[in-house]
Amino acid sequence: MIHSCVRHVGRIAIGIAIATAVLTASGQPPQPAPPSAEKQRMINLGIEQKTARALYEHFKQEANGGQTLTWRTVPDWTGVWTREATPFFWDPDQGSTDALPTAKLTPEHQRLLLDKLDKVKRGIEFDPLSNCEPAGMPRWLVEPFLKEFVITPQQTLLINEMQNEIRRVYTDGREHPSEADAYPLWEGDSIAFWDGAKLVIHTSQMRAGQYQRVQPFYTEQVETVEVWQRTDDETLTADVWSFDPPALVEPWYTKQVYKRLSNDDKSLRIRHWDCGENQNNTVEQTETGTSDFSNFTFTEKDDQ
Amino acid sequence: MNRTLACVLGGLALVSAESFAHHSAVMFDDVKEVTVSGTVKEFQYTNPHSWLLVDVKNEDGSVTTWGFEAEGPSTLMRAGIRKSDFAPGTAITITGHPMRDGRPAALWMKATRGDGKEFNPAAGFAIK
Repeated sequence: MIHSCVRHVGRIAIGIAIATAVLTASGQPPQPAPPSAEKQRMINLGIEQKTARALYEHFKQEANGGQTLTWRTVPDWTGVWTREATPFFWDPDQGSTDALPTAKLTPEHQRLLLDKLDKVKRGIEFDPLSNCEPAGMPRWLVEPFLKEFVITPQQTLLINEMQNEIRRVYTDGREHPSEADAYPLWEGDSIAFWDGAKLVIHTSQMRAGQYQRVQPFYTEQVETVEVWQRTDDETLTADVWSFDPPALVEPWYTKQVYKRLSNDDKSLRIRHWDCGENQNNTVEQTETGTSDFSNFTFTEKDDQ
Repeated sequence: MNRTLACVLGGLALVSAESFAHHSAVMFDDVKEVTVSGTVKEFQYTNPHSWLLVDVKNEDGSVTTWGFEAEGPSTLMRAGIRKSDFAPGTAITITGHPMRDGRPAALWMKATRGDGKEFNPAAGFAIK
């Protein structure tokens, strides 16, 4: 029996009203904290190198071309992992949904972002993931749920539970496909080398997309450089630079952090995702552009 | 930065706080809660989202099946919620953010089984 009908949660509404009032009164949303000296150094490194490929070659030169792994020198990244920060911030340093993302956007992409944020505020929101599309790179980096990493001497597989997305990162010395044969891919094309226990990746050939729902968009020109390493038993980090001249006035540097989950009973296992497995999960874009369920099967109303 | 932008950003804390990874949670009213008591009809333990279906007896004697949506199995496992926790017929009191359009479904916030054990799907995002 229904013993408590819908009730308002006053404290939430009051909190939001206060937050909005504070912002409106000042006319300025809270800004992310200024970058640390180390973060600024990494930002400057991207700016100095100008392109993703140049930054990748810079790291490769510093590593004297990198090393080839053997089965005896494969780093241990086993276990089940998840991103530490909320998925809704590309840059963990954003800190608050009241603040803008930390990217320095071109005017066009600033406008695209603000248009999207305005729609979200008005309850108009639709994520292509609802159509069972992959998140794709670089959004892959910040998707939630489980991740696994499989390292072999010739390639490394970066696996995301969500949408069964696997990135194949080649460390056998191959190059990207020629420009004539290149075309946009969900996960892009990734080549890499090992610098000791650091994996340095260059990814190109990505499809246009968005860093996350309330984050900026990226174009098909986006390229990334990632430097992955295990910093302690429970932590993997990835220094990530995004280069995307149509969208970014300078490379967007962030540090992504992934944590190994305790799994003593081995109950955490990556299962296949099939968006069509349960039709109660079917979400469609409405005429107003927002999201709604379309196929409930557990109520008589649906049969009418 | 202008006042319009400030207002846009101010509203986002509300909209995105409980959004889902596979789809927006905009169809749920995240400033309202609904609580029902009944018996479990079925626990659809599926990706990308799980649904806990609960049969609720109405005052006129009819039964309405409510659906409570949560994340998929791996997040529920991290929250300590297994498929076997909610066998059909299990007595339950469950709370969620209801659908804006009045359909009997909600975003699952917390549940208390007949034996008093509590289940909170959001706990599955804790890193431990």
